[in-house]
Amino acid sequence: MLEWNNFRKPQRYMGNEWNVIKKSHDGRVRICLCYPNLYEIGMSNVGFRIIYSCLNSFKDVVCERSFMPDEDLYVYLREYKKKLFSLETKTALSDFEIVGFNFDYELNFTNFLAMLDASGIPLKSKERKDLIVLGGGVANPESLCEFVDIFFLGEFEEKAVSFVDIVRRYKNKEARLKALSEVEGFYVPSFYDVYRKGRRYVFEKKYKYAKLPINKVHVKDLDSSFSPVDWLTPYTSIAHDRAQIEIARGCPNKCFFCQARSVYFPYRERRPDRVLELADRIYEKSGYENISLLALSASNYSNIEGLIRDLADYCSERTIGLSLPSLRIEDVVDKLHKYLSRIKKVSATFAVEAATQRLRSAINKRIDTKKLMEAAKILRSLHSRHIKLYFMYGLPFEVDEDITAIKGFLEEIIRVSRLKVNVSVNVFIPKPFSHFENILMNSKEELERRRRLILNSIPKNRGIKASVALPYKSMLEAVISRAGRELSSLIYEAYMLGARFDADGERFNKHIWDEAFKRMGFDVNEYLSGETDNFPWSHIRVI
Amino acid sequence: MNDIKFPLKVRFYKGNDMRYFSALDLVRVFERALRRTSLPLYFTKGFSPRVKMSFSRALKLGVEGEIEVTFYFTREISADELKGKLSSQLPDGLIMAD
Repeated sequence: MLEWNNFRKPQRYMGNEWNVIKKSHDGRVRICLCYPNLYEIGMSNVGFRIIYSCLNSFKDVVCERSFMPDEDLYVYLREYKKKLFSLETKTALSDFEIVGFNFDYELNFTNFLAMLDASGIPLKSKERKDLIVLGGGVANPESLCEFVDIFFLGEFEEKAVSFVDIVRRYKNKEARLKALSEVEGFYVPSFYDVYRKGRRYVFEKKYKYAKLPINKVHVKDLDSSFSPVDWLTPYTSIAHDRAQIEIARGCPNKCFFCQARSVYFPYRERRPDRVLELADRIYEKSGYENISLLALSASNYSNIEGLIRDLADYCSERTIGLSLPSLRIEDVVDKLHKYLSRIKKVSATFAVEAATQRLRSAINKRIDTKKLMEAAKILRSLHSRHIKLYFMYGLPFEVDEDITAIKGFLEEIIRVSRLKVNVSVNVFIPKPFSHFENILMNSKEELERRRRLILNSIPKNRGIKASVALPYKSMLEAVISRAGRELSSLIYEAYMLGARFDADGERFNKHIWDEAFKRMGFDVNEYLSGETDNFPWSHIRVI
Repeated sequence: MNDIKFPLKVRFYKGNDMRYFSALDLVRVFERALRRTSLPLYFTKGFSPRVKMSFSRALKLGVEGEIEVTFYFTREISADELKGKLSSQLPDGLIMAD
């Protein structure tokens, strides 16, 4: 065993968390669920937790976990030729039958290759014999097709029974992939030919029972769908250090830039009594001192007032902290005000996206800024320390006046709230499956010009903390998210050149990616030009 | 609100994987373990109330040995009652001494 004293935060690798599930491997289907970033980030992912508990609910399945090791352990494993392991039993990833990866963020993809490599698993699908690499959580999987044997598109808990049935029944890899490809939501890239015919992408089946198009799967009813109660409770602090309870999935709004709306379509709610029951059972099992409600748009929840009233009662009786995700401003102002004052931490996050009404209308973002200013005033009287605001730049129809209007907006909100303001400005990315999926992205030079304009438009005020995303990284994210299969080679090249932890601002290395683009002869602008009649992801239906 | 607190000083043996846990980690481990019991916990005051406890002897990271912790309750609790309820809620490697 390793001498853990030599590594930063060894608690991340112990696998001894409260409610951890440990089973013998004998006679069981062996699965390792992996997240291609640090433990603190992966353990904050609710989807990851649902799948972990769901797979372990089958008696004859053992599902363990592995995360991207931090740099110190990673370098050690490579140097001493030791294999990356699962947390629960310290089994090498290569000794599992199936390793599943969550691909919810494009800039984690090189970490995924690093994890396979550190486990001695061949990176390319065609070089592997028995082991199956399964991918999920990704909207457009095409850039990963060379590495992943099979994808699942949608909400896994809905098809877990079919999945386990098939891996139980067939032991041979080819048989497993074939049987799974006949089930809705499963996508085996090697069963399809994809080529360009003029400006069109053409998809053809090589295995006749595979599905085409491939439909994303979703659970019908959140009240009866699988939801973990034995909440895995880490002993060390993680990114979102609280028990998270989903109150709704999907979003009834139709912001044109939003990908999540389509990927999590349709909008579904969990009944308030079921939310309370889950909160109670999770608290009894975990003792977590903080609970947060999870939804893309909590304020659309039909009975948000009743739910918050009941949960505020429950939590204050037990001295539990309750945090709420971004709320609709109208609700804060009109209804929730009196309950919010009883909650210890009210995190106020408002996604404004654009500073002018004209641009907000153009992107279909409905927000009443008069109410927002009223809400900001109310927050002053609550236990809030700051307001968090989200904006975007590089949006379609955006002109310089939309950007410079940020200044007046921020000044106004500070004047009425007298709170500290954290502003986060992201680059608009035309993500697959969003209403704007066919929109061109601005050139890097133009985005850089607009970024300077934003930096100049942020009032020089000590109460404002601003972070404005860099064009380069966002364009890389755009390229990978919009990619076709040919992009696997770029990710491979970047990994070989040493790219890892691209999602981390300090570890991201632009020069590596520049070099990879150069070597592969890829043209970023071609990728972002949208000059096609359809897209590399046209074989996938999300709605 | 009843504001009298009843301290109870107890010793724990910290071994195995728990060796690598800092005092800060242990606060979290104890707080959540206590919350899973039905014991009458005493909370600190202020914006973010926490289960009150204090450590009198800390150990170097990675070292096995004894630690001493004082817990606070809103009524008198005996060491036996605490042990009876808390032991089953503690992770492997953390054992309450007699």
